[in-house]
Amino acid sequence: MDEAVKNVLDWNWGAMAPELVILGAATLMTILDLLLPAGRDRRPLAWLGLAGILVAAFLVWRNVQAEPTHILYDMYRVDDFANAFKLVFLAGAAFALLLAVADVGPGGEASSGEKAIRDRGEYFYLLLTGLLGAMMLASAADLIVLFVGLEVLALSSYILVALRRQYLPAVEGAFKYVVNGGIASAITLYGMSFLYGLTGSTNLLAVGEGLRDAYVSGNAYLVYVAFFFLVVGVAFKIAAAPFHMWAPDVYQGAPTPVTAFLAVVSKAAGFALLLRLLLTAFLGLANPLDGSPLLFSELNVYVGAVAAASMIIGNTVALRQTNVKRMMAYSSIAHAGYLLVPFASLTTMVFSQMMFYLVAYLFMTMGAFAVIQLVARDRGSEDLRAFAGLFRRSPLLALAMTLFLLSLAGLPLTAGFIGKFYLFLSAVGREMYALAAIMVLTSVVSFVYYFAVIRQMFLRTGEEGDPGVRVPPTVGTVIALSAAATVLLGLLPDPALDLLAHTFNFSEMFLPLAE
Amino acid sequence: MTVTLASYLLVAAFLFCIGLYGALTKRNAVVVLLCIELMLNAVNLNLVAFSKYGPQPGIAGQVFSLFNITVAAAEAAVGVAILIALYRRRSTVNVDEMDTLKR
Repeated sequence: MDEAVKNVLDWNWGAMAPELVILGAATLMTILDLLLPAGRDRRPLAWLGLAGILVAAFLVWRNVQAEPTHILYDMYRVDDFANAFKLVFLAGAAFALLLAVADVGPGGEASSGEKAIRDRGEYFYLLLTGLLGAMMLASAADLIVLFVGLEVLALSSYILVALRRQYLPAVEGAFKYVVNGGIASAITLYGMSFLYGLTGSTNLLAVGEGLRDAYVSGNAYLVYVAFFFLVVGVAFKIAAAPFHMWAPDVYQGAPTPVTAFLAVVSKAAGFALLLRLLLTAFLGLANPLDGSPLLFSELNVYVGAVAAASMIIGNTVALRQTNVKRMMAYSSIAHAGYLLVPFASLTTMVFSQMMFYLVAYLFMTMGAFAVIQLVARDRGSEDLRAFAGLFRRSPLLALAMTLFLLSLAGLPLTAGFIGKFYLFLSAVGREMYALAAIMVLTSVVSFVYYFAVIRQMFLRTGEEGDPGVRVPPTVGTVIALSAAATVLLGLLPDPALDLLAHTFNFSEMFLPLAE
Repeated sequence: MTVTLASYLLVAAFLFCIGLYGALTKRNAVVVLLCIELMLNAVNLNLVAFSKYGPQPGIAGQVFSLFNITVAAAEAAVGVAILIALYRRRSTVNVDEMDTLKR
């Protein structure tokens, strides 16, 4: 046991540097928040958090293409799969932080106009602790770390949703989130307990190997039980149908920056969990009769069913919504369905396809929520009619929103189109024509509700002589960056695809670690 | 008399089902939170049983269950705090009345 007494300082803590920076920034923000007198402007804390995110992003970027490393007895591994996801989380959290600064800006009125968020310090550092949980999740190589990361993200999100505690829809949404999230964690954990029981280990790679033996030695049905519970638990997290019921209420009740954080970072974390857990644990399973891999031939059908249900339910129910944030919630349910398509078809390209769409989704969703936040605050309403005549009032804002909506709908020349096109090709390539057809048809349906917003902006007239919507610089930055990225990824996707194909070595995820 | 692994798993499965049923059907929000705890404790029972009588016994399952207990406590604290905030607004803990967001 001489390894056990190895000096703690001898470990390669540098591998965890990005997480430690985020943890340090969040801790510092918490302490400063306690020291600052009540009623004092807490916005400088957000800049501290943003600085932490930038430093962490630089450190993550430095780890890209390095040899995969592991610390804490293989519980935590840094590979390009984790790095890619961490960059998405960091970008999403940075944008959410910028939106949050404007949300508590002059006047202190929170986005829906009901009640101000007085406890503004928490607003900023809970975004960082949520980010920390997501980053831990991406790097986890052990069931326990995976679970703890998931819960750090979830607990931060619950509190963020409930921040406006005088505002009934916020607390009601938050309570529904806690109950649904709690049930989802319990279901995921129940599945994990069988993974542990069958293999005797909590390390994901060891679980993968042990599961292969368990499957052929007569415990096949328990393997199925574990897979079923894990898929249900993950489907809750990514808000995929039929486990999406919490999403509309939570998205509507939460402050808009938090909604954007949930739609992007929390959802991306769910996909990191899905890939890390299901691929490493179940990839080795093979049908004992013909040796075909189980995940490719049998289990992926269930994931495909969840994807199809999400696309259909998300896109059709969105048609009936009049609240923009609620509509975006159903749109994000539909996007969870699109994002599950590469996992159902499971080609060797699954990482780059999913990652490209996640990046495109990050920018178009963040941009759309930024505009929604401004318009909702300007009009004091989240109703679709708040967008009436926006083109006349603020032409640039209306054009940016149109771009994001077209990208979300997947029209050509936008990032959303390229991403969706690759997902479509992956489904057709594996001859999953039903899934591909559902994807195309539901995308066409989605045009209806996205165009409803565009119609409001361009064809309806608002009240005469309205002043334009004031755009704070932080939100302006988010909109400009998102719009630029959406157009660039749509017109010139090749550099980004090259980056995903060559710079990030995703298959590192399965490499057993050298001592 | 020896108690086999299967009986532990069966008890855990019962607990889990009771918890899930309660969480989905009970009208009192406090009972809903309690039922979620029941589900999490079913998981702990599973983990500890596997770590003692499983095909590959080991300490990891017990460590996992300790983490579960800690996180479950944090989750319960957040859940109850949000429930109190909700109670202050609505003066009710009845889940059926939490319907202001439906349309």
